[in-house]
Amino acid sequence: MADAYAIEDHVYDVVVVGAGGSGLRATMGAAQAGLKTACISKVFPTRSHTVAAQGGIAASLGNMGQDDWRWHMYDTVKGSDWLGDQDAIEYMCREAPRAVLELEHMGLPFSRTEEGKIYQRAFGGMTTNYGEGIAQRTCAAADRTGHAILHTLYQQSLRYDTDFFIEYFALDLLMDDDGVCRGVMAWDLETGTIHRFRAHMVILATGGYGRTYFSCTSAHTCTGDGNAMMLRAGLPLQDMEFVQFHPTGIYGAGCLITEGVRGEGGFLVNSEGERFMERYAPSAKDLASRDVVSRSMTIEIREGRGVGPNKDHILLHLDHLDPAIIEERLPGISESARIFAGVDVTKEAVPVLPTVHYNMGGIQTNYHGEVVTLKDGDPDAIVPGLMAVGEAACVSVHGANRLGSNSLIDLVVFGRAAGLRAAEVVTAGAPHPDLSSSMDDAIMGHFDKIRHASGGTSTAEIRDKMQRTMQNNCAVFRTGEVLDEGVKLIDEIWQMMPDLGVSDRSLIWNSDLVESLELDNLLRQAVVTMHGAAIREESRGGHAREDFPDRDDDNWMKHTLAWFQDDGTVKVDYRPVHDYTLTDDVEYFPPKARVY
Amino acid sequence: MADRGLRTPLARARGLGSAKDGTHHFWVQRLTAVALIPLTIWFALSIASLATADQAGVQAWMKSPLSATLMLSFLLAGFWHMKLGLQVVIEDYIHTEATKITCLIVNNLISIFLALAATLAVLKMLLGS
Amino acid sequence: MVEFNLPANSRIKGGTTHKAAAGAKNLRSFQVYRYDPDSGENPRVDTYEVDMDECGPMVLDALIKIKNEIDPTVTFRRSCREGICGSCAMNIDGTNTLACTKSCDDVKGDVKIYPLPHLEVIKDLVGDLSNFYAQYASIKPWLVAQSPAPPDGERLQSEEERRLIDGLYECILCACCSTSCPSYWWNSDRYLGPAILLQAYRWLIDSRDEIQGERLDQLEDPFRLYRCHTIMNCTNTCPKSLNPAKAIAEIKKMMVQRQV
Repeated sequence: MADAYAIEDHVYDVVVVGAGGSGLRATMGAAQAGLKTACISKVFPTRSHTVAAQGGIAASLGNMGQDDWRWHMYDTVKGSDWLGDQDAIEYMCREAPRAVLELEHMGLPFSRTEEGKIYQRAFGGMTTNYGEGIAQRTCAAADRTGHAILHTLYQQSLRYDTDFFIEYFALDLLMDDDGVCRGVMAWDLETGTIHRFRAHMVILATGGYGRTYFSCTSAHTCTGDGNAMMLRAGLPLQDMEFVQFHPTGIYGAGCLITEGVRGEGGFLVNSEGERFMERYAPSAKDLASRDVVSRSMTIEIREGRGVGPNKDHILLHLDHLDPAIIEERLPGISESARIFAGVDVTKEAVPVLPTVHYNMGGIQTNYHGEVVTLKDGDPDAIVPGLMAVGEAACVSVHGANRLGSNSLIDLVVFGRAAGLRAAEVVTAGAPHPDLSSSMDDAIMGHFDKIRHASGGTSTAEIRDKMQRTMQNNCAVFRTGEVLDEGVKLIDEIWQMMPDLGVSDRSLIWNSDLVESLELDNLLRQAVVTMHGAAIREESRGGHAREDFPDRDDDNWMKHTLAWFQDDGTVKVDYRPVHDYTLTDDVEYFPPKARVY
Repeated sequence: MADRGLRTPLARARGLGSAKDGTHHFWVQRLTAVALIPLTIWFALSIASLATADQAGVQAWMKSPLSATLMLSFLLAGFWHMKLGLQVVIEDYIHTEATKITCLIVNNLISIFLALAATLAVLKMLLGS
Repeated sequence: MVEFNLPANSRIKGGTTHKAAAGAKNLRSFQVYRYDPDSGENPRVDTYEVDMDECGPMVLDALIKIKNEIDPTVTFRRSCREGICGSCAMNIDGTNTLACTKSCDDVKGDVKIYPLPHLEVIKDLVGDLSNFYAQYASIKPWLVAQSPAPPDGERLQSEEERRLIDGLYECILCACCSTSCPSYWWNSDRYLGPAILLQAYRWLIDSRDEIQGERLDQLEDPFRLYRCHTIMNCTNTCPKSLNPAKAIAEIKKMMVQRQV
């Protein structure tokens, strides 16, 4: 099959797939270590979804009051509902201040305090002294922090010697018979040619897969392509049932309104004008962690206290804030609210609804970014030649629920860690082994099959069915019954794929084919997500089962690993949660009841 | 894209580098523009007042050092401004290198020639009998 | 000479009309520029009727609906759909803007959708931005400072100094402004254009940067900077309400300032 396509070869030490925050940081790290590095991205780097992050990046700089990385670590562990690996969490929180200062030194335009230091705001779940007070830990560039980070990292990438392959769609990993990753195959949209990138290390930085859902804050391009490449390579994904619903997506449009609004003093009210979060989280109130706020909002709506003609959403007030503060610190969401909700935030409340936002699950890695898998009883067996960073990865620092502003710090800390590790394990310029052509055949066969798919169901139809099923059957609250139905439905939708029909046969900028390949990617992830959710019989973080309302540490303090098999079935196994820290500077935080 | 050859976009964007020039052009164009505002008003009013005068009358008017100085200022600023403006138009719209250079040379020479001729005419009226 | 007429292979021919299903009440016609690089045929404008009762409010919603339900071959860039990534910049109703934040209701009559002007078209609404990106790289859009940064802290910047970057750092590199500028149309090989000059100014006035003079040296050029003739299309069209024309004026002021 590969013969039908002329394949152009490229040889690198390191190839990074994805040019969002973590991909660019990893690219930079590898290049600075003297490794010949390429970065492949299906969109121009500044179009990556990191650009849409708003509120900020967490680091215990202590610019706005005393802070300690251990407090940040405690908050992250508690936020993760104890599913996070504490060695990795320690690493992230410890490295966070250095990573943020590094960004500042690169020129990132952070907002400033009166002393000229980086401005920090309060965010959900971020506390001082192990839960006592509210911490101002989230470093912000107004409410465009992701934009500022992504542009800064892209600007830095122009400084050093890296090859960017922009608008190249990565197809699959080149995995040899020994389970070693040897590179990645990609399709250049502009010229329509196929490229084989051989590398000693492939770093997947392909982001989340929010687009499996009908309504999400994620970009159209958030299709988890790297996750799907893992599944097609016969490797599992971890904790995929943990999907974060952001409490404040704009009602209707689904666009994000940052948690920073509540960090600056905004609050949620129901149809009775009540600040209901005071009931659900007496101490943290509107700044409880996202899973808690999303569930509370859902309960309010369910019990008939939603607003609007259909009583189906909640109001977010910031009209009591000083307009000058809004203009200085929240200009971006003021614009979004005006465009997508028709609301002037200085005068009216914004209609909001919990909206799919982030995937805690993904590619299981250690804190160096190296991909691990369960192999011959070893839960931490390294997959040679493969790393994952960013939202695509599941280190796992976010466990069952991510805290706001911990994703941006995850990107830069682990992007950097991956670069450092690559420098250790890869020898610059080392020769590449010969590759068997069967690898190319399998990849190009899959590509060609979808390219020439001539069934009766369009990509958009199957995608719509998948998105609605995920939205209905794998939502904020879940029950065994609804999930079992979801499993049945999503498996049926997978079975529709042989009837897929693609209209455009071209190779140049064939966006119909791109969307079809993305659909194949999404659907695999949707299937493992639904299966994982149906199997996990407990409530933890973002996974809330009404039939199992409590966390069950005895049976479920473990990471789900899910394999998607060729026949469309899902195999599940488990990895233990790391119940140890990295150093003696901090002790393991044992599980306890999670109250905000 | 074929006509751009195989150089990288960055190599093309950097091109021959910065000319480290242009500010003088920009500044003088603004300067002459500002100078021409009062000078043009003065010129228009003078012409209007001389509308009924005969040649001797005009010559007599030009013999005044003030009139002659202002007249020279008006003409030199005008031609200088014209030369700068036309240069921009040529650079904007003409992309064939040979044509562009030719036009720029012609623009310079004509402007200088016209300025000299006009200056000479004023001097002749000022100094002549 | 500048080409005021389209070259023969760019002249637009008539296209196909895709009628909406019977029964749709709230119809709107979308005229979409199509170019197929494989056939190499001249571009055409296809017309799609969309039932607006079943469609989201923005032009991007309509394009996605057309792609999903009528013609999957229609090709355009899109990503965040909330006006921050800059992918879906195109010419709508004669103005360069982002399809995701442009409401269909703001357009009278048929909605005409073209690629950004004066870019080489790769396919349909997808233009080639490689020159634009290269020009961006050419201005060294990163912080340059010789004085070492504090090892355990940030480079300090006052709130006032930080405020100078507001209205500049927000640029999303969508290229709406540059491709609306006639001067950039005629001289995009040498003139940097409004977007890149706005970025240049962003680094010129960042209080942490230490090479203001060198940056000005690199810009001081009859073409790179001085092709700006204050036409103001850039500021009028910017979908993020930024003001590139003002940034360029400030650069020109700096140029004079260091001479007089």
